[in-house]
Amino acid sequence: MLGFIKKDFALMKNNFMLLVILLVFYIAMGISGEIDISIILPFISVLVMISTFSYDDFNHWNAYASCLPDGRKNCVKAKYVATILLIFLVTTITMVLSILLSSLHTKNIDYTYILYTMVGEIFGTILVLSIMYPIIYKFGIERARIIIFIMVFGIGILGGFLLNFIDVANILNLFSFLKNDWVITLILSSLLLLYISCQISLKIQQKKEF
Amino acid sequence: MKNILEVKNLNKKYDNFELKDVSFSLPEGMIMGFIGENGAGKTTTIKALLNIIKKDSGEIQLLGRDHLKEEKQIKEEIGVVLDDMFFPEILTARDINRIMKDVYKTWDSNLFNQYLEKFLLPSNKPIKTFSKGMRKKLEIITALAHHPKLLILDEPTSGLDPIARTEVLDLFQDFIQNETCSILLSSHMTTDLEHIADYITFINQGKILLSKTKDEILEQYGIVKCREEEFQKIDPKDYIRYKKNKYQYEILIENQQEFKKKYDIKTIDKMTLDDLMILMIKGEKSC
Amino acid sequence: MEIIISNSSKIPIYEQIKEQIKGKIVTNELKAGTLLPSIRNLAKDLRCSVITTKNAYEELEKEGYVTMIPSKGIYVAEINKELVKEEQLNKIENFVDKAVTMAKMNGIEEKVIIEMIHILYEEDSENEKYSRS
Repeated sequence: MLGFIKKDFALMKNNFMLLVILLVFYIAMGISGEIDISIILPFISVLVMISTFSYDDFNHWNAYASCLPDGRKNCVKAKYVATILLIFLVTTITMVLSILLSSLHTKNIDYTYILYTMVGEIFGTILVLSIMYPIIYKFGIERARIIIFIMVFGIGILGGFLLNFIDVANILNLFSFLKNDWVITLILSSLLLLYISCQISLKIQQKKEF
Repeated sequence: MKNILEVKNLNKKYDNFELKDVSFSLPEGMIMGFIGENGAGKTTTIKALLNIIKKDSGEIQLLGRDHLKEEKQIKEEIGVVLDDMFFPEILTARDINRIMKDVYKTWDSNLFNQYLEKFLLPSNKPIKTFSKGMRKKLEIITALAHHPKLLILDEPTSGLDPIARTEVLDLFQDFIQNETCSILLSSHMTTDLEHIADYITFINQGKILLSKTKDEILEQYGIVKCREEEFQKIDPKDYIRYKKNKYQYEILIENQQEFKKKYDIKTIDKMTLDDLMILMIKGEKSC
Repeated sequence: MEIIISNSSKIPIYEQIKEQIKGKIVTNELKAGTLLPSIRNLAKDLRCSVITTKNAYEELEKEGYVTMIPSKGIYVAEINKELVKEEQLNKIENFVDKAVTMAKMNGIEEKVIIEMIHILYEEDSENEKYSRS
């Protein structure tokens, strides 16, 4: 599987520049003390990962990989592992930068706040990729893009519509028992989500004909 | 002699095409040319062998082992070149080397680099900057660099100029210098196969029309050219296909010697694989 | 060792190989005990299939011109040169016989035939000179 992970990172090399530019932009914003864009970095990393799917599809990499030993399974697993590695890498860099940058403005750095933001970001990112990857494996990147776009749009409209009728506070209260353990809960549910998503993708890949 | 590849009654049905009871086998140490028109089922058969499409039924053995039960071990020992399926083209040959080191236990970086030098392929340029011929060569040396026992190649010479084709065919013959190594290669360039192939398997509309040694085909089969009245005298059992042209009949026969004994027709032409293919596909059946 | 193969010839390739190696053995160009190229090597150099060279060698072995020792190689065998020469002479006599019969049937004089043979011989040796230079 290591080989396939290397391949995904090699595919990202063109897009690493985008991440670096964003990082520089982020630092500049941080120094001037204006807005916090740290939240978008992990999301950008997912976008970078998704671009690797386009490269794969263009040369039918998944079909070729299926001719290599254990390639059919490993290219899916590798995709997940590479994504997680990238998210952690980017998040760690953002976190370190956040701490450094906030030390420019204040003496009392709120470490817990920074940590919580990061956990929240990682969870959000993992939620997105866990839904997207099986769709990409099922329909191919081109069609998956459209499906995901429609889904996001649909959820937005539906959500907005439902919010008129439902009291959000009530629902949040349902989760109040998690009050103290929500960090752990988020981490555990991310792992569970990833596992389920990966299993689904593997099933799809196993059945696929190229 | 052991068979390195054995296909028995392979079936695969699509809406508008099907492989029907495809059977053939390739003995160890030999090169088999897999010929047929575009769309005859060459690629489908190859994909079924490699389990990148699922067969409906049939038995396939590669290297003497079931292709599904021991898929992983088999794939360690085979090299493939497929039409239009490869590494993403923004990668470089160096990337491929790095990746494959961890994919195959037996990947030979030195050999891979030697091949790159031999074929003047740059190791640090993205594949997308390569010409079609360079790309094909890279695909072929990638398939060779883990010392496989069996090469399965779908149209490996298509798009290559005559010089590159000669280089590639040389590479294949180098490969089988080791007598346990074998090659299955599909091609519609029958001239490639007329030289180096030991066996010819001919597929048309999803069915195997014949699978024999090439020498047998080229020496025994023949094309008889005759007039209408002569044609009428020939027993339909004695020919495989015929084609009526403006001035003559062309008849494909299976055994020149026997035909000569039985009939008094002098013009029996030596046949090429192209002639065979054309008569088999375009000619009328005897009954 | 030189072997010239013509793909357009009506003679099967394995037979071309066989006859040429045989010729070299008979004329002593290849001496008894000489190691010949392996089946696969020869196939590669002549750009033909393995089965073709294998056939050629197997026939040569059947006729006693070479010995194949598994996993060691193929060697030129000790042959009775006189016997072989006689055999070849017999074959030639057959051809000449046919030629003479045909000549007689068409009323062609002996002189003309001998002249023809003379020219053919010269042509051949000239070709050889040419290919050597």
